[in-house]
Amino acid sequence: MKLDWSIVWQSRWLLFEGALVTILLTALTMLIAVPGGIVLALMRNSRLKPIALFATGFVELFRNLPLLLLVYWAFYVMPVLTGFGLPPFTTGLVALCLNVSAYNSETFRSGINSIRRGQSEAGLALGMSRLEVFRQIVLPQAWRRVLPILASTWVSLFKDTSLVSVIAVGELAHTAMQIRSQSFRVLEMLTAMAAIYWVLGYPQAKIVDWIHRKYGVRE
Amino acid sequence: MTAFARKNADKPPMLVYEDVRKRYGSFIALDGVSLHVNAGEVVCLIGPSGSGKSTLLRCTNALETIDGGEIRFEGRPLPTKDSEIRQIRQRMGMVFQSFELFPHQTALENVTIGLTTVRKMAAEEAKARALALLAKVGLADKTANYPANLSGGQQQRVAIARALAMEPHVMLFDEPTSALDPETVGEVLNVMRNLAQEGMTMIVVTHEMSFAQRVANWVVVFERGQLLEQGPPQQIFEAPTVERTRDFLGHLGWNG
Repeated sequence: MKLDWSIVWQSRWLLFEGALVTILLTALTMLIAVPGGIVLALMRNSRLKPIALFATGFVELFRNLPLLLLVYWAFYVMPVLTGFGLPPFTTGLVALCLNVSAYNSETFRSGINSIRRGQSEAGLALGMSRLEVFRQIVLPQAWRRVLPILASTWVSLFKDTSLVSVIAVGELAHTAMQIRSQSFRVLEMLTAMAAIYWVLGYPQAKIVDWIHRKYGVRE
Repeated sequence: MTAFARKNADKPPMLVYEDVRKRYGSFIALDGVSLHVNAGEVVCLIGPSGSGKSTLLRCTNALETIDGGEIRFEGRPLPTKDSEIRQIRQRMGMVFQSFELFPHQTALENVTIGLTTVRKMAAEEAKARALALLAKVGLADKTANYPANLSGGQQQRVAIARALAMEPHVMLFDEPTSALDPETVGEVLNVMRNLAQEGMTMIVVTHEMSFAQRVANWVVVFERGQLLEQGPPQQIFEAPTVERTRDFLGHLGWNG
C-alpha cells in the first residue's frame, strides 16, 4: 500500500479551521454548562418540591442518554417539537449543553453538599441571607473542590465534540472525514486526525493533572 | 440563696426563655426550659452532652426553630420572617465549637465579611475595625494568615473577633474550647474573660468548670432537656441544692 502524506499538508488550513471549531464548541459548551450546572444543582437542593423534581428529571434524563443519540435527537426531533430549525453548529451545541449541564450539576451538587453545614451557619449567624451565604461562602469553597472534576469534564468534552460530526458540524472530525472521503486517503487522514486530537488534548490533560495537584482537597 | 441579687436585676432582662420546647423526631431536646439573661451577665450553661445546652443556644439566634414556648430578645419574641431574623442575628454574635472560619479567606477577611456584606460598610472602614479587633484578641500579626495557617486557639480568637465586628448586644459561645488543644484553651478563655470584664452579655455553653466558677454570674445546669438547677456559681459549685448537680460535678472530678 502506497502512502501519500501530502494530502495532510494540502488540507492544513481546513484542518486548522476544523480544530478551531472544535475548540470553540468545547469552550461555548462549558461556558453555558457551568452556570447551567450550578443552577440545576441549586434547583435540586431547593425546598420547593416541583423545582427540585423538575431539575432531578432533567439531570437523570440527559445524563443517561447516549450523547450520540442526543445529537441526532436535537437534529431531527427538536425542530419538530419547537417548530423552528437551528443551524447544525447550534444544534450540536444544544445537545452538548444538555448532556454536560446534567453532568456538571452532579459535580456541583456533590461539591456544594461537601461543605459542612457549620460554614453556612457561621454566615447566617452574622446576619447574611441565604443567597449571600451561597455566593460568598459555599460556592467559592465548592468551586475549588470541583475544579479538578470540571477540568476532567472539559478534556472528555473536547474529544466528545467529535460526535456532532454526524450532523455535519464542520469541526475537526467532520472536516477530516470529509477530506478522507474526497481523497480516499483513509489511513493518512485518520492518522492526521488522531495526531491533531492528541497534540491538542495532551497538554489539556497535563493542565488537568496540575489543577488536581494544586486544588485537590487537602483538608 | 434568696439574698443573691443578679446583675441589672432592676432592668428588663435581655433574653427570656419561657417554657421552650424542641424535639428532633421522637427525641426531646428541650423539655420546657425557662430562664432569663440580664444585660451584662455571663451565663454559663453546663450539663452532660446531649442535655440541650447547645440546642438552646442555637434556638436563641434562630439557627433552630422551637416547637413550643417563647424566646424574647430585648422585649420582643423572636421573629419568624427571614429578613427580621437577619436583623436579630446581627445583634447576637456566635462562636462555634469547630470555629467555622471561612477557609478561603484570610483572618482579616473573615472579620470584615460581615461588615461589608451585611452592613454594606466601606472596605476601608471595615478593615480598620477588623484590624482593631484582631489586635484586641492578640492577633495583630496574623491578619494576613489563612485559617489553615493558624493554631486552633488562634482560629477561635479570629472567630470571636468576627462575631464582635458586628457589635452584638450578646455573645453566644457554643463550647468554644472543646475542640482545642489543651495548651491553647487558656488564650481563648482569656479573651472571653476580658470581654466579660468589659461588660459584654455572654451565654457560654461550656465544660470548663473553673471558667464557669470564676467568670459566670449565673450558672444553669441542664439534664435531659430540662433545667436541673440554676443559681450563682457559689451555689452551684459549692452548695448545689440538687443531688444530681452534685453527681454531675462529681463525674467531672469536681469536689467543690
